[in-house]
Amino acid sequence: MRNRDAFSGCHPAVSFLYFGLVLIFSMIFMHPVCLAISLLSAFAYSILLNGARAVRFNFLGLLPMMLLAAFINPAFSHEGETILTYLPSGNPLTLESIVYGFAAAAMLAGVICWFSCYNAVMTSDKFVYLFGRVIPALSLVLSMTLRFVPKFKAQIRTVSGAQRCVGRDVSDGGILQRARHGMTILSILVTWSMENAIETADSMRSRGYGLPGRTAFSIYRFERRDRRMLLALLACGGYLAAGAAMGGLRWRYYPTIRGAGANGFSVSLYAAYLALCLLPVFLDLREARQWRLAQNAEGGSHA
Amino acid sequence: MKAWFSRHRRGAAGVVFLALLLSAAYYFGGGAPGLRGWSASAPQAASSVQSETGDSSAQAASSSAASSSAASSSAVPAASSSASSQPAEKADESGPAASAKKTAAARPGGTRGGMTASEKTAAAKEIAGGNGSSAGVEQGDAAYSEKQGMKLDASTGKDQYQTAPVPEGKPVPVEPQDAVITDRECTCTFSISCAAINDNLSWLDPDKKELVPADGWLLKPTQVTFYEGESVFNVLLRTCKQQGIHMEYKNTPIYNSAYIEGIGNLYEFDCGELSGWMYEVNDWFPNYGCSRYQLQDGDSVSFVYTCDLGVDVGGYSAAAGG
Repeated sequence: MRNRDAFSGCHPAVSFLYFGLVLIFSMIFMHPVCLAISLLSAFAYSILLNGARAVRFNFLGLLPMMLLAAFINPAFSHEGETILTYLPSGNPLTLESIVYGFAAAAMLAGVICWFSCYNAVMTSDKFVYLFGRVIPALSLVLSMTLRFVPKFKAQIRTVSGAQRCVGRDVSDGGILQRARHGMTILSILVTWSMENAIETADSMRSRGYGLPGRTAFSIYRFERRDRRMLLALLACGGYLAAGAAMGGLRWRYYPTIRGAGANGFSVSLYAAYLALCLLPVFLDLREARQWRLAQNAEGGSHA
Repeated sequence: MKAWFSRHRRGAAGVVFLALLLSAAYYFGGGAPGLRGWSASAPQAASSVQSETGDSSAQAASSSAASSSAASSSAVPAASSSASSQPAEKADESGPAASAKKTAAARPGGTRGGMTASEKTAAAKEIAGGNGSSAGVEQGDAAYSEKQGMKLDASTGKDQYQTAPVPEGKPVPVEPQDAVITDRECTCTFSISCAAINDNLSWLDPDKKELVPADGWLLKPTQVTFYEGESVFNVLLRTCKQQGIHMEYKNTPIYNSAYIEGIGNLYEFDCGELSGWMYEVNDWFPNYGCSRYQLQDGDSVSFVYTCDLGVDVGGYSAAAGG
């Protein structure tokens, strides 16, 4: 399969480390600057990977969910120094709870968006390549589970198309009949998916999956580019972890909003975080430019 | 060794992974000693001088200080286990030997949610010295309460909202849905104090230290107007709105009352597992919720923050049992 971007061509260990770091940091760092960096980078990278589909998902799916999550928080949390007004119940509506609601929503949306990038880059063969030797059963189950939803969706389309040919699709007949047809399709699908899982497991066993001494074919090579990426990831990740442990990214929302601001150390941490999050985007832009230059040079020599 | 490892690599990896997972869960889940982590991170030990001055300021400030000091002096010093934390007890064992570790361990329940209700009552009993309620907390009188109109269940001895009989001479609960509020204006004295936190500052959530005034008063005793028939909760809600004091409550249907979770951003459990808000009317800590206490003209109401389930403010009732 053609790679979606330059980073998808990197060694699976590099990709996995990148997503591990980015996801963990997105979940831990509640500093507003970090949340903004993480969310915007995730948006940018998902659009680079998935194009128009990602734009639609991010703005029609994630944004409304973010707003909902942001407005739910002040309905349940009333802590905070700055009282804006009072809710009908008599509990206060505070600025801090609204701000925290937005922060939590940004974190949630960022993590979901990062996972959409993860799914596009870390295909199941990469995952099995990384963990097939160490935890064969678990990695097979995981990759089968992750494959399940897209596979199920594709199969729904097949079954529903076949049923439509004999006039028994959910689009045929009265409301009761449609429901009955839907139930039939669902039952077919469940049967199919169970059988499919057993078949996959049997087929992997018959190939000797998980036996000691079994080698696996892979086309992943650890190149110089991967070594550089790994070093960059470790440097950024280590600096960020150390800086966060020293309190450079400290932030609190309750009872008053307070935290590390714009001193030099914190700004260097924001820069490191931005560099870490945008690493694949940088790599892609750099390789695209190199490709363009190479083509121009070639074109120039012909002329 | 190598052969063994290559044969059992899968099992070994599984065991290591499981151990890492469990230790991470233990570390972050709060089951570990101390606030979070392997060793108890010892907050600065409140020196005996500090706690004595804190105590005296509390005596000067709090109207319940008399009963508070009575409670602590009557406490049996034999309660020398980790839960002992009364200033009076601290005084006779707070040499340098009673190290920082002691203070850290004395914070009842290191983390939020670390103790069950029965553990909490047991800890409070130990702090109180095992000899029952605070001075001034009287036994309920079933006959008197029933004469006043309280309907007690014969099998449990409590009314339908889990309230035990009130002591003789005290008002019985009035359900908020039955209360008749008239136009007659009355006044009461109203105050909110968190002076008890100043005695246990090392237990307090560090983010909240700035919220505690030096003298402990969030609202000094003030004359407040209310309408006849209103409950303590009505007055608290209105007064906090008027004074711009933050207050959060939650309705608890089984007690048919509001539960005050936090005032001035100081919440329950912010100063140890046994901390929270209590209220006192005319030097009595009612054994029912503040929505059910109907105020009379001239009453004196104070909300006080306790760090020891009421022992430190003189409102501990051995019979309450959570």
